[in-house]
Amino acid sequence: MLEIWTDYAWPLIWIIIKILLIVIPLLIAVAYLTYAERKVIGSIQLRMGPNVVGPFGLLQPFADGLKLLVKESIIPTGSNRVVFILAPMLTFTLGLIGWAVIPVADGWVLSDINVGILYLFAVSSLGVYGIIMAGWASNSIYPFLGALRSAAQMVSYEVSIGFVIVTVLLAVGSLNMTDIVLAQQKVWFFIPLFPMFVIFFISGLAETNRAPFDLPEAEAELVSGYNVEYSAMSFALFFLGEYANMILVSAMTVILFLGGWLPPFDFTFLYWIPGVIWFSLKVSLVLFVFLWVRATLPRYRYDQLMRLGWKVFLPFSLFWVVVTAGAIVAFEWYPK
Amino acid sequence: MIISSLAFYLFSFITIFSAVMVISARNPVHSVLFLILAFFNSAGLFVLLGAEFLAMILVVVYVGAVAVLFLFVVMMLDINFVELREGFLQYLPIGALVGIILMAELVLIFGSWVINPSSESIVTTSIVYNSDTTNTHALGQLIYTHYIYLFQAAGLLLLVAMIGAIVLTVRKRPTVKRQNISEQVAVRVDDVIEVKDVTSGSGI
Amino acid sequence: MNILTEINLIWPELCIALSAMCLLMIGAFRGDSSNKTITWVSICVMGVACLLVLLGPNNPSSAFNNLFIVDQFSNYSKILILMGAILTLILALPYNLREGIHQFEFPILLLFSVLGMMMMVSANDLIALYLGIELQSLSLYVLAAIRRDSIKSAEAGLKYFVLGALSSGILLYGMTMVYGFTGATGFNELELAFSNGVAKNQFIGVTVGLVFILCALAFKVSAVPFHMWTPDVYEGAPTPITAFFSIAPKIAAMILLSRVLLEPFGGLFIQWQQVICFISIASMAFGAFAAINQTNIKRLMAYSSIGHMGFVLVGLASGSIAGLQAVLLYLTVYLFMNVGTFACILAMKRDDRMVEEINQLAGLSRTNPKMTIALTVFMFSMAGIPPLAGFFGKYFVFKAAIDAELYTLTVIGLLASVVSAFYYLRIVKLMYFDEAVDKFDRSIGKEISFITIGMSFVTTLFIIILWPVLDFAAIAASSIFL
Repeated sequence: MLEIWTDYAWPLIWIIIKILLIVIPLLIAVAYLTYAERKVIGSIQLRMGPNVVGPFGLLQPFADGLKLLVKESIIPTGSNRVVFILAPMLTFTLGLIGWAVIPVADGWVLSDINVGILYLFAVSSLGVYGIIMAGWASNSIYPFLGALRSAAQMVSYEVSIGFVIVTVLLAVGSLNMTDIVLAQQKVWFFIPLFPMFVIFFISGLAETNRAPFDLPEAEAELVSGYNVEYSAMSFALFFLGEYANMILVSAMTVILFLGGWLPPFDFTFLYWIPGVIWFSLKVSLVLFVFLWVRATLPRYRYDQLMRLGWKVFLPFSLFWVVVTAGAIVAFEWYPK
Repeated sequence: MIISSLAFYLFSFITIFSAVMVISARNPVHSVLFLILAFFNSAGLFVLLGAEFLAMILVVVYVGAVAVLFLFVVMMLDINFVELREGFLQYLPIGALVGIILMAELVLIFGSWVINPSSESIVTTSIVYNSDTTNTHALGQLIYTHYIYLFQAAGLLLLVAMIGAIVLTVRKRPTVKRQNISEQVAVRVDDVIEVKDVTSGSGI
Repeated sequence: MNILTEINLIWPELCIALSAMCLLMIGAFRGDSSNKTITWVSICVMGVACLLVLLGPNNPSSAFNNLFIVDQFSNYSKILILMGAILTLILALPYNLREGIHQFEFPILLLFSVLGMMMMVSANDLIALYLGIELQSLSLYVLAAIRRDSIKSAEAGLKYFVLGALSSGILLYGMTMVYGFTGATGFNELELAFSNGVAKNQFIGVTVGLVFILCALAFKVSAVPFHMWTPDVYEGAPTPITAFFSIAPKIAAMILLSRVLLEPFGGLFIQWQQVICFISIASMAFGAFAAINQTNIKRLMAYSSIGHMGFVLVGLASGSIAGLQAVLLYLTVYLFMNVGTFACILAMKRDDRMVEEINQLAGLSRTNPKMTIALTVFMFSMAGIPPLAGFFGKYFVFKAAIDAELYTLTVIGLLASVVSAFYYLRIVKLMYFDEAVDKFDRSIGKEISFITIGMSFVTTLFIIILWPVLDFAAIAASSIFL
């Protein structure tokens, strides 16, 4: 009996506690990301943003959540029920499970697997399913068009993201997330691999369907794209999943290029500040740029989007993979 | 370990179940979705085998890219599956016969499966694998040295597939206007605008 | 082994692969207008590859951990394949210009398929074999469908693709069986494993695996009962491509089949001999009888090639050096006859449209005597009438079969040969004795007439070069039996 407790039950409970320790702060972060988005865009456009619910409008995200929770969920008659309900759940779950391998500080990671970065890449490539399933199951034209656009867009940009990751891996020599961060102790990768950093960030915008690549939900053309038919909690799940994905992509950017939990300079006193603080600060910075971009740039046209992905990013990142590999071999900069 | 065998049965049961559903689902889109589920669970099986790299690549390549395109095509094509199934009963006997023959062969073969003892010694490819190297490293060491020829040949094969797809689908449409960005950027003010002095009252 | 010594062995393949990729870049940036240049460059590249093959090592040597082998046998077949490809590409040039096939990818895909064939004949491992086959078939599927606006061409491509994919699946299934029961995919390892026959508990598995592999390779050489795709694909594909289909892939697949059966599965001779005998008889008989009713000359050539493959398999069934020598000789002769015949078919053009019906040839001797003579030579040669080239092919094949005491096979082969002579001679009769229809166009391009003349000379005067070719074939054949 004791054996069952020590071998099975306790590890299970411990894992659940760890998962909750990751998921709950994440969901709070998502809630405040929506708040931050409205505030940031508000100030960029010289507006107030939400300021009514709670002090400075701080309770606004919870009010929104509550509103969506108590509304009626509508399932269109012509829709494919199972897939229709499955789609938002999938999106939301995928937004969360990526965090299993993200080290927020040294050793603070749910599962430090060998192929961490591939796992993240795999999870982010699955994101398209939620959208395409939603679009198809709604049995309606606008969502379907949105879903098709989104599928093409995400598949296209994934390719260049893959090559960007390859360049980082060439410099690290490991697929493990912790190793990737530790390899940046001397210099963060965004300096030697600057072009790749830029490509990664832009592809990240496309991968998360953010402006200026938010064609799948372009209001002017598609009334809001793949999630037109969704309401109440199912809509909220999409919303949450989308923002969780944004945070995930930012975290990837931080780990791959901005030194993860490492402080910006190699001074001892900077190490007194816990790594998780540095990590959150960096993620917030990247997220701020996400919002900044949304407030500043107009939306791409679809053919321009495809052109950028296939004819600019793909050849360039391929070329850069060769350059990086060549430099590593020529100057014998082999990792480790 | 109980957990890993439980996980094995879970993954393999779902894989087989979804594989059956792929061919028996009425709706082709559901078929593709079940196919994806099958891929996903096979990836789980790979993880249980300790082949984590293969597992992730399976998800990235098959689920993340190939199956998306499948889904894309199936959704767009709007296949009439009733019509597709029309000949099903007619072909069932011959299909079943082939299936039974293959099944019988497999049973016969696996009933008597013994690896030739002499061939065990002549198998040359012993993988350099120990606990220090992750299986990503081990795979890389084998593919880029021992099997470099096959690796490159497979690369050429994919290149041909790509050329083929382009040859058979790309059409030049002379009527479509295309944006030439470098041309647009290169435009100078003088090329497109002509400033004229207009004297008032007379016009140009 | 040092990487440089390994590269020394694959110069011909490397040359073709690299130039194909360079040409692809040129084509991609220069557009379809560069088609003609690319075609000529491809022809030159294949010529260079031919030279490199000749300059290559004479003694059998393998590279890349025994995945790739170069010996006289592979060299001989590589030269055949390259010659076939060069000749058909020259034939294709005026046709493509005329029929508006101006994709620059055409010669490049052809180069890639030639590369695949060279990899096939040099394969020394089941995986290498599979990759070679796939590389050549994938290119050929596309080439068959390259006239995508024509329904027939698209149908040909699709049929070829679906059935080819099926046969690849069967091949892989057979290979996994063999691998599962021996634990090896390399030809050398397999040869060792089977050198003392097969253990009883392996017998079923290995035999089933071998039969599956045989089926798939029989599909590639289009031997009965895996021939169904041939007539439709031959008819639908653009004519120069059909010419190519009937020559290079057939030669490569036949060579590959011989190597697979004689090297790794040499110990299973008793098992595969009966299968080969059956396939051979069925192909000869079917090729002879089914061709009688054909009205389309490309379909007729399809059935004729099925029959020829049956004759070649007779040589293989004998399983001896002499048999293999006869196989090589037959394939050489077959190459010349087929290129010549297809050159004539490409000249069948009336009012700027290609005609493919056999009765359009009626009375050709009055309107175009030169072409009639050439076509007569080829038809007589295909029928196996001495002293033309085709006769020697058949003669040596049957001689090897008799030496191996395969009397039934020989008798059936001779009978099939007589039946098939009927439809070859029917064409000759049509040309000389029937009422003349309108003339064919004169402007067929000097490349085509040049090749027609050249091939008819080779076919007629083959007896002069018979002995050198036989010697070369003997050396090549004996390198398998080392």
